[in-house]
Amino acid sequence: MRAEQESFTSAFAERLIGEAIVVLALLSWWFVARGLPEFVLPGPVVVVRRLIELFAAPEFLWNAFASSWRVLVSIAAALLIGGGLAFLAHGEPWLAGVVDDRIKPVLNSFPSIGWAILAAIWFNPGDFGVIFVEVAILIPFCLINIAEGLRNIDHELMEMGQSFTRHRARVLWRLTLPLLVPYGLSAIRIAYGIAWKIALVAELLGAPTGIGYLMLRAQTAADSTTFLATCFAIVLIFVAGERLVIVPLERRFERR
Amino acid sequence: MVDTTIALGQSSRRRGLLARRLAPHLFTLLFLAAWQAAALVAPSYLLPGPAQVAWRLWLFVTSWRDLGHLGASLYHVAASIAISFVIGSLLALIPYYAPLLRFAIERRVGPFLNSFSAIGWTLLSIMWFGVTSLTVIFAISAVLVPFALINMSAGLANIDRETIEMGGSFTRRRARMFALVIVPSLYPFIFSTLRIMFGVSWKVTLTAELFGGNAGLGYMVNMERQEFDTATIFAAIVLIITFVHGTDHYLLAPLQAKVSRHYAG
Repeated sequence: MRAEQESFTSAFAERLIGEAIVVLALLSWWFVARGLPEFVLPGPVVVVRRLIELFAAPEFLWNAFASSWRVLVSIAAALLIGGGLAFLAHGEPWLAGVVDDRIKPVLNSFPSIGWAILAAIWFNPGDFGVIFVEVAILIPFCLINIAEGLRNIDHELMEMGQSFTRHRARVLWRLTLPLLVPYGLSAIRIAYGIAWKIALVAELLGAPTGIGYLMLRAQTAADSTTFLATCFAIVLIFVAGERLVIVPLERRFERR
Repeated sequence: MVDTTIALGQSSRRRGLLARRLAPHLFTLLFLAAWQAAALVAPSYLLPGPAQVAWRLWLFVTSWRDLGHLGASLYHVAASIAISFVIGSLLALIPYYAPLLRFAIERRVGPFLNSFSAIGWTLLSIMWFGVTSLTVIFAISAVLVPFALINMSAGLANIDRETIEMGGSFTRRRARMFALVIVPSLYPFIFSTLRIMFGVSWKVTLTAELFGGNAGLGYMVNMERQEFDTATIFAAIVLIITFVHGTDHYLLAPLQAKVSRHYAG
C-alpha cells in the first residue's frame, strides 16, 4: 500500500516537473522575444492568438484539409506500392534481387528535394505533383516494413493454412494479411510522421494550396507570427491525427 | 523453418540461382533502355538521357568547384550528425540519471521535437541566421535530434541490470561506471543511431541547402533548376544515391554487424 502511494507521489511529481518545464520554456520564450523585433521572434501570446485565428479562418482550414488529404492518399498509395513490391520480392524469388538490390536502395537514398524538383519540372503545380512526391518519399519506408513482416511470418502457420485450402487468395486474405497487420501499422505510423515532417517539402515547390505553401508565403512575407503559428498548427494536426486515427487503429488490431 | 528447396532438383535450383543473379542486372539494363527511349521523346530540359547524365557526372567529379559543393554538403551532414547525436544522447541520459525528469523528456520535449516539421526548422533558421552554413546545420540537427533521442533511450532501457549491478560492486565512481560499463553496452545502439541519422540527414540536407544555404549540393541544384539544367540535377541525384547507398552498404552495415556481434554475445 505504502509503495503504491509512493509511486503515485513520484508520478505526480514527474508530471508536475514536466508541465513546469513547459511553462518555463514558454516564459523564457516570452522573455527573449521581448527584446527582439517581431519579424525575428514574436512572443508566445501573439503566436497563440494567431494560431486561434488560423483555426477560425476558412482559408487556413481549407489548406489544412488539402494537406491532410494529400498525406492520407499518399500513405495509402505508398503502402499499396511498397507492400506490392515487398510481396513481389517475397513471392517470386528471382525478383527479390531486383527489389532488394535495385529498387529499394535507389528509392531509399533518393533525396526528398530531388523528387520535389523533378515533380516541379515534370508536372503542373497541383495535387498530382504533391502526391507523386509524397508517395515517392514514403514508398521505401513501407517497403522495408512490409518486407520485414513477410520475412518474419511463421512458416508452420502458413503450412497449416495451406493444408486447409489451396486457394492462394484465401490464404492471403485469412492468414498472410492478418499476420502482416502489426508491420503494416508500424509502416503507417512511420509514413505518417515522415509525411508531415519531411514530405511537406512537396508543397513548397509545386503547390498552389496546402500548409507548406502557406508557410512559404508567410516566410517570404517575413510574417514570423503566422509562420510560427502555422508550425504549431502542424504539430497540433499531427498529434490530433495520431491520437484520433493511428492509436485507435493500433488498439483495434491489438485485441485480435 | 522448412527448407522447400530440398525438394527441387539440382539443375532447376542452379537455374533459379542464375535467374536470381541475372535479374537485377537485366532490370538495370531495361531501366536504362526505357530511360533512353523516354529521353528521345521528351525535350532534354524535362528528361536528359542517361549518356548526357553520365557525361555531366564525369564533369562533376573532375571539377573542383562542383566537388567543393559536395564537400560543403559532407561538412553540413557531419557537423549536424555530431551535434544532434550529442544533444539527443544527453537528452536521453537525463531521465536515466534523474528519473523525476522522465515525464518532461519523454512526454513533452520528445514529442514536440518529433512532430515539428523539417520545413518549419529550415525556414525558421533562415529568419534567424540568414543564408549561411549555420542555418543548414541548425535545420538538419533539429530534425535529427528526435531520432537520436528515441534510439538512445531505447538503448538505455535495454542495458542489462545485472551488468550494472556487477559494475556497482566494483566501483562507486559514476564517471568510471559510465565510461566502462554504460557506454560499451550502448555501442550497438550508438551504431544503429548513427546509421539512421546518416540516412535521414541526406534526405533533409538538400532541402535545407536549397532554401537556406550558400554552398552545397542543394544550393547547386537550386541554381541549375533556375537555368533548367536538368542534367546537372540528375547527376547530383545519382551522385547522392551512389554515395549514400555505398557508404551505408559497404561501410556502415559491415561495421554495425561487427559491433553487434561483438557486444551482443
